[in-house]
Amino acid sequence: MWKYILKRLVLMVFTLFLVITATFFLMQIMPGTPFNNPKLTPQALAQLKTTYGLDLPLWQQYLSYLVGAVHGDFGTSFQYQNQSVSMLIGQRLPVSAHLGAQALVVGIIAGLIMGAVSARNKNNKIDGTLGILSTLGISVPSFILGIVFVYLFGFKWPIFPVSGWGDSFSQTILPTLALAASPAAITTRFVRSEMIESLSSDYVQLAKAKGLSDKEIVNKHAYRNSMIPVLTLVGPMAAGLLTGSTLIEQIFSIPGIGQQFVTSIPSKDFPVIMGTTIVYAAMLMVMILITDILTAIIDPRVRLQ
Amino acid sequence: MMSNPILKVENLHVNFNTYAGTVQAIRDVSFDLNKGETLAIVGESGSGKSVTTKTLMGLNAKNAVIPENSRLIFKDRNLLDLKEEEWQSVRGNEIAMIFQDPMTSLDPTMKIGMQIAEPLIKHRHIKKEAALTRALELMKGVGIPNAEEHINDYPHQWSGGMRQRAVVAIALAADPEILIADEPTTALDVTIQAQILTLMKKLQQETESSIIFITHDLGVVAGMADRVAVMYAGKIVEYGTVDEIFFNPQHPYTWGLLNSMPTTDTQVGTLEAIPGTPPDLLEPPKGDAFAARNVYALGIDSKQEPPFFKVSETHFAATWLLDERAPKVIPPVQIQKRWAHWLEMQGQEAY
Repeated sequence: MWKYILKRLVLMVFTLFLVITATFFLMQIMPGTPFNNPKLTPQALAQLKTTYGLDLPLWQQYLSYLVGAVHGDFGTSFQYQNQSVSMLIGQRLPVSAHLGAQALVVGIIAGLIMGAVSARNKNNKIDGTLGILSTLGISVPSFILGIVFVYLFGFKWPIFPVSGWGDSFSQTILPTLALAASPAAITTRFVRSEMIESLSSDYVQLAKAKGLSDKEIVNKHAYRNSMIPVLTLVGPMAAGLLTGSTLIEQIFSIPGIGQQFVTSIPSKDFPVIMGTTIVYAAMLMVMILITDILTAIIDPRVRLQ
Repeated sequence: MMSNPILKVENLHVNFNTYAGTVQAIRDVSFDLNKGETLAIVGESGSGKSVTTKTLMGLNAKNAVIPENSRLIFKDRNLLDLKEEEWQSVRGNEIAMIFQDPMTSLDPTMKIGMQIAEPLIKHRHIKKEAALTRALELMKGVGIPNAEEHINDYPHQWSGGMRQRAVVAIALAADPEILIADEPTTALDVTIQAQILTLMKKLQQETESSIIFITHDLGVVAGMADRVAVMYAGKIVEYGTVDEIFFNPQHPYTWGLLNSMPTTDTQVGTLEAIPGTPPDLLEPPKGDAFAARNVYALGIDSKQEPPFFKVSETHFAATWLLDERAPKVIPPVQIQKRWAHWLEMQGQEAY
């Protein structure tokens, strides 16, 4: 087990190296330069390029980035002067991760419950209602939901604060719910179909023949077996949520990393693009590793090798 | 017939409401099960064997409809009147079931010892540790070698034969009075089949339980059953002791089943089969359901359903051929040989 995890971590470093390399050279294909202020004189532009090392040949820039990355130095942002990328991410990622983790927990728990309820009431009104809700949850974008929540619970019935971060827990409620809707809906659908399959399986028939009640069957047999495929869904979902949502952070004025992801690209803030891409890639790989380990714990047929 | 049956099935009808209409899966089935005996229910696919067993366990699908006059009398109560909670105290406790496919009927994510202990925890209300101790004994009882080492195994670590032993152990865990075995050896290869059947017989003698044995394999029936009921198109068409069914069969459908069973003097290339397919139970045919496939069918077969004719105190068959007005027909050669053997068994001269 530990040997397997170590092997995966080593592989991860290699994958990260590939991600860094691919992103680095892909960025160069983008048209324009990071410094497109028309007021800049050619001399000032040349001066800036020298400062950030952009006048060097590409392979030298690449090598110095790699050397820096290995030492934990991911460069300095072009946009926010004198802000190191590590600082920028270090300040903003925890905020996004906190919000994302809350949304993930709420979404998955809601999905597990609604999916099981839906499956047990297959094709009746409860199932139909949950089916409509989950379709809405998947198809309505989170920012629309966010705006609706702001209107309903911030303006019409002012129950929760609608902006800011870090002052109180209540500030986190609306953005968490807006973010959780989609994972909740996806999990509901997935759990429903897996649970229906599990409930019609032979081992559930046998469990019934033992005299177990429906509740015992769901809790002791059906859930565990339905969870195995659901876990594969959770890894990428978690990576997406923990690395922030641009629009939700914008709507609720949350100082997260989601915005950096997006604004760094049109402004060609190379170090920030690199930094956020690395964070996302690393997060995704860690989450997939965690779900693989969890799968092995739940499903005895899976061996980590 | 013995006087005090443990289970009486009376006028059982089971219908299924489907989009296509009502499927009459069980059409007036009655039989008794005596204490300590093995009753085999034989028939081809779709004859209603499995629906009968599911009904006995209260495990029919939600679209099943059972008319009011159907009765399953077990311990002075009609099981069909039970509520779901009451059924739960019957299932796995008083009536248990052995399933067909050991590869899919165990939960892949639960330890086998725990799966065997589950009915005990549920019905005997004992602690997990005590239940696991008993599960270990059960595992030894069904012949799992080195049971101590394997109690924490998961199903995927076991072979099909071993898993079926575990399924038998689960069924026996709470000492049921009736054991329903739904084609328990169909999914196993022949040598393992024999082991499981021997095991079931041995355990039955130890526990004095009654077994309802569902199968389409007449070879298995001969070694296992005391009595046999032959089912066709949702009805029992002939029932009697195992010797009566094997050596003095009266219903042409039973002839067909016995005839399609290869024997030692079957010649290569002459495997017999019953022509045609079973009728559509959405609209069961008028008269004798088997008439369309029956080369011995009489005119009346397509008009009126045959009643049960008594062959002996224990042997009944629903075929117009037994009516005194019916012409004498000559059954297939195989069946004639069986009849001859029957007469010898009765201590009489062969004719």
